[in-house]
Amino acid sequence: MVGDPKTLVALIVLFSLYANLGASMYGVIARKNLVKKLICLTMLGDTVNVFAILVGYRLSRGGTPVPPVFTEWSKASEKLLANFVSRSVDPLPQALVLTAIVINLAVTIFLATLILYTHRHFGTVEMDRVSEMKKGELVDEVEVS
Amino acid sequence: MRNVVVALAVVFTVLLLAYATYLGALGPIPPNDLRELAKALLERSYRPWNPFNTSMCPEAVTAVVWDFRGLDTVFETVVFYGAIVATLALYRTTSRSLGLVGERLSLIVRYATLVSVPMILIVAAATALHGQLTPGGGFQGGAIAAVAPVVALVVFGRRKLLDLGVTYVKALIVRNLALVAIALTALGPLIAGIVLGIDAYVLQNQGKVGAPLSYPPWILDVPSGGSVILFNIFEALAVAAGFTLVFLTLALDEETARRELVGEDRGW
Repeated sequence: MVGDPKTLVALIVLFSLYANLGASMYGVIARKNLVKKLICLTMLGDTVNVFAILVGYRLSRGGTPVPPVFTEWSKASEKLLANFVSRSVDPLPQALVLTAIVINLAVTIFLATLILYTHRHFGTVEMDRVSEMKKGELVDEVEVS
Repeated sequence: MRNVVVALAVVFTVLLLAYATYLGALGPIPPNDLRELAKALLERSYRPWNPFNTSMCPEAVTAVVWDFRGLDTVFETVVFYGAIVATLALYRTTSRSLGLVGERLSLIVRYATLVSVPMILIVAAATALHGQLTPGGGFQGGAIAAVAPVVALVVFGRRKLLDLGVTYVKALIVRNLALVAIALTALGPLIAGIVLGIDAYVLQNQGKVGAPLSYPPWILDVPSGGSVILFNIFEALAVAAGFTLVFLTLALDEETARRELVGEDRGW
């Protein structure tokens, strides 16, 4: 039901995530500038990560949901653990997102370095100009040979 | 025209995904209850009364990362360092040529940095060492620690950092030793099991029925998470050193970096 405030907030978050997804996908495909492509790629990754976190969230009856950290470990008992499990959010998407962030970061470092090299070699990061220069170099090589 | 086609294709894809979500492909969002898998993970992350079926790690996310899905994290670490090695390999010659200059910033910025760098390192250490009790862990701690050399690099210049002993070779040694330590922590129970002639598993943290070897579950009166705390410490060191390596390399001046491209004018 949309009338429920929690569902309304979830719908707004979902709508903004899909808008973000569309904008970043468009950027990755249509942008000519490699730096902008990379920025859109990181946006895309982050959007998908927020999706995963949202899927792992939960509505908790009788109180707000708690993070998946058992803070009462010093007086741990089966009753406290059951209470914790009844209120905690899902830890698995958070762990998977952590992995995704690390891989994203590794890919970003590598791509940023490649873009830096492209700039040093061609003096530009615009895809169209790079393609034109590459065509020119190919013609030169054919003429030389 | 091309952009319009791309935009339409993207809108179509997004609408398709949104419709799938509306039909319930991801279940109710946000969910009303936990999946059975999530319940099982939360119940097993910390329950000292059942030592053969727990990871002794109150922070469930860290327990998932380094115990329940430990193998996954090991390969994630491999991908991460693969990308760092690939980045460094692009700078294969300049990585050896040190002795470069960098401009340092003003006195105020330098003194402010002198105060903040130790604090950054303290926060990093707390994040990594408390990873089994509070949100955080090895990767997060290492990423925070890596901020310190980056700030120092910008504020004091590359040469000062090298003079202080934060060199390419030292960072490489720390990173490699930490990676070896991660591998040994993962293989430790198996090696001990072979020596003692009992069953044990790769990445075993706490003892299981029929495979009783365990990493110490307590440090004084605080849960250690067994192997989790070791993984967190080594991962933090490896990540901090790996990032330092990349930043030291990326901070090369433009002239030196361009030397890499000599002879590559053709052949793209």
